Amino acid sequence: MSQAWFQHTFSRRRFQTQSQATAIAILSVAVLLILGSLYLSQVAAFAITNREIEDLISRRDEVKQQNERLIGEIASFRTVPRLYARAVEIGFRPAINDDIEYLVFAGYNPNRPTQPLAAAARHSAEPAAAEYAETFGGWLQAQFDLLRRQFQTFGE
Amino acid sequence: MPGQSTQQATIHARLPIVALFLIFLASLLIIHLANFQFFPRSVRQELERIGSSITNTTLRIPAERGLIYDRDGEPLTFNVVQYRLGVSPNLVFEAETLMKQLSVILDMDEVELFFKLTSDNVWEFVAGPISAEQGQAVAALDDISLGLEEIPRRFYPQGSLAAHVIGIVLDDGLIGTLGVEGAYNSTLAGRVMDLSVSNVPFDLPEDLPAEQRGQDIVLTLDRDVQFWMEVELERAVKENGAFRGSVIVMDPRNGEVLALANYPSFDPNNFLEITDPNLLVNPVVQETYEPGSLLQVLTAAAALESGAITPEWSYNDVGVIEIGGREFRNRYFQAHGVVDIAGVLTRSLHVGSAAMALEMGEEKFYNGLRAFGLGQATGVGLFNEDLGELRLRGDTGWTESTFGLNSYGQAMQVTQMQMITAFAAIANDGIMRQPHLVRQIIGEEGVRDARHSTVRRVLSPDTASILKELMVRAVREGAPEAYMSNYTVAGKPGTAQINTAIGYETGPNSSVVSFIGFLPADEPAVVAMVKLDRPDDFFGFEVAAPVFRRIADRLVILLEIPDDATRRELQAVEASLRAPRTEQG
Repeated sequence: MSQAWFQHTFSRRRFQTQSQATAIAILSVAVLLILGSLYLSQVAAFAITNREIEDLISRRDEVKQQNERLIGEIASFRTVPRLYARAVEIGFRPAINDDIEYLVFAGYNPNRPTQPLAAAARHSAEPAAAEYAETFGGWLQAQFDLLRRQFQTFGE
Repeated sequence: MPGQSTQQATIHARLPIVALFLIFLASLLIIHLANFQFFPRSVRQELERIGSSITNTTLRIPAERGLIYDRDGEPLTFNVVQYRLGVSPNLVFEAETLMKQLSVILDMDEVELFFKLTSDNVWEFVAGPISAEQGQAVAALDDISLGLEEIPRRFYPQGSLAAHVIGIVLDDGLIGTLGVEGAYNSTLAGRVMDLSVSNVPFDLPEDLPAEQRGQDIVLTLDRDVQFWMEVELERAVKENGAFRGSVIVMDPRNGEVLALANYPSFDPNNFLEITDPNLLVNPVVQETYEPGSLLQVLTAAAALESGAITPEWSYNDVGVIEIGGREFRNRYFQAHGVVDIAGVLTRSLHVGSAAMALEMGEEKFYNGLRAFGLGQATGVGLFNEDLGELRLRGDTGWTESTFGLNSYGQAMQVTQMQMITAFAAIANDGIMRQPHLVRQIIGEEGVRDARHSTVRRVLSPDTASILKELMVRAVREGAPEAYMSNYTVAGKPGTAQINTAIGYETGPNSSVVSFIGFLPADEPAVVAMVKLDRPDDFFGFEVAAPVFRRIADRLVILLEIPDDATRRELQAVEASLRAPRTEQG
C-alpha cells in the first residue's frame, strides 16, 4: 500500500516537476520575447527619430542657404547704382547745397554714435540652443508615453 | 589493507596541497585575465581609434565666414554655397535617363554628359561650381552614382563697389586676400573643425557647433559716399586722360576712412576673369610714389613746430639754392624775390622749401617727417601695407643733396594713406588719429568697438592753426579751382614727376598730380585726397584741384556739413537755446 502510494506520489511529483519546468521555460521565453521586442521597438523608434532629426537638420541648412541667398538678392537690389537709377526714373535728382535747409534742435548731436542694426540683428536672430534639463522622472514619463504610443500603433 | 589505508592517508594529506596549488594557479589566471582588461593608455587609445575608424567618419567642416558691413549695417559680403558634381560611372544604372535629367538641370550638352556617365574612370568630374538650386535639383534625383561636394563661395552684392577695400577670398572661400578680407582673415575665417560623425544609424546625428563661425566686421566706410567718390573718380580719370586714379575720404576727428576709391577697379564676384594682375593691388596702401610739392606743407609744419622759423619768416628767392654741392631751382627757373611761407606753398617753390629745410637742419626735418608717420605703416587695416621709403643719413643712397630733394617731396616714397593721415593731423589741431577702416567686430559675445587710439600729437594747436591759415591761402591764391564760395577750404595741390631708372620722365602724361584738402577749415569735418596718374595736363592745381572741388560739393551734402554762414548761424541759435538751461542749472 505504502509502496503503491509512493510510486503514485513519485510519478505525480515527476509530472508536476516537468510541467512546472515547462511553464517556467515558456514564461521565461515569453518574458524574453517581450523584453526583446520592447528593446527592438525602442531601438527602431530611436533610429527613426535620428533619421528625422537628420532630415530636419539638412532641411534647416537648406532653408538657411535659401534665406542667405534671398538676403543677398535683396542686397543686390538695394545697391546704390540701382537705387539711384530708380530714383532718377521716378523724377528725383541729386541734391545740391541750396536744396538743404539746416535746423537747430536743442540737444541733438549730429555726430552721435550709431549702431549698425542689420549687422547686430544677424547675431541676435540666431535662436539659442535649448538647454538639456531632462530629469529621471521626465525620462521615465517619456519612455512610458513612447511605449503607449507603440501599443496604440500596434492596435491600429 | 594497511598499505591501502596508508596510501589513502597520503592522498588525503596531499589533497589540500594540490587544491591550494590549483587555487593559486586559478587565481593567477584570474588576476592575469583582470589585468588584461586594463590596457596601457597608448594601447587603449589605439584600440579606440581602430574602433571609431570603423564606426565614425571624420569630416572637415569649414567655418562660416563672417560678413562685412558698411557703417550703416548694409551688407557688403555674403556667403553662398555652390556645388561640384561628380559621377561614379560604374554605379550608373541607366545612363541615358540620367543624361537627360542632368542635361535639363545643368543646361549641358547631352553628348558630353553621356561620355562622362559612361566613362571607364572610377570617378568623373561632371560640372562645377553649380548653383545651390542646381545642386538641390541634382540631390533630388537621389541617384547613388552622383556625388555633390559643397563649395563655400563669397558673394559681393554691391559688385565692384569698394572692391579694393573689401578684398577677395581664395581657396574655396577659406583664405582672404587683399583689403579687409586679407587683413582681418583670422577674425573673419572662424575655426575650421574636424568633426567625427558616427556611421551608426542609432547614434544621434551631430549638429554643427555654432561657435566656430567667424566674426562679422562693420567698416567705417559709408556706402553712399563711396559710390559718389567712385563716380566722380571715374569721370575725373576719363576727362583728364589719366592712366588711373584714387580718392580717399577721412574724418580727421577720429581717423575713420569714409571712402577709398580706385579707378580702374574690378568686380570681386568675377576676379578670376581679371587679365591685368595690377588691378588686384590697392595703390592707396600697396604702392608708393613721390609726393612732390604736397610735402612742402609738412616741411613748413616741421620748421614751424621746431621753432626754426616763425610765421613771419621770409627769404630772398634768387631762383637757386645749393645743398650738398647740388643746385636746386624752382620750376621754370624763376626767381621770386622776398617770399614768405604762404608764398612758398602757394607757388610750390622748390627753393623756398629747401631754404626752410636748411633753417631747421637735417635732424629736425627728418624728425618732423617721422612724426607725421612717413616711412611707417599707418595700420589702417588693409592687406599688405607698404611702409614707403624715407632715407636718413647713413642709409644707402642718401647724400647731402637728398635732404634738399626731400624738402619738396622728391627722392622719397610715400603711400597715399600716409599723406592723408599726415594732413588729417593738421586738420585735427595737430593730433594724429589712427586711420582705420574697421569700426566694430561682432561675434558671439556681442558687439565690440574696434579700439583706435590717438597715434600722437604731431603739432601744437598754434602751429596747426597757422598751417590751416596757410593752406586756406594756398587754395585761394594757388589753386582757385578748389575754392568754394560758401565753405572755407584748406588744401594743397601736388605735382610730382615720375622717377625711372634713367631719371625723371618728361613729355606728355608724365606726372602724378594730387590734391589734399579739408573743410570747413576752422572746424574740419572731412579731409579728402585726390590723386591721378599720368593725366594729360601736368600740374596738380589744374587737374586734381577741380576734381577735389567736385568731390567736396558732394561730400558737404552727403555728410551734412552746413556752409560757413549757416554753421555760424546754427551755432548762435544753439548757444541761445542752451543759455537759459545753463542759467536754470
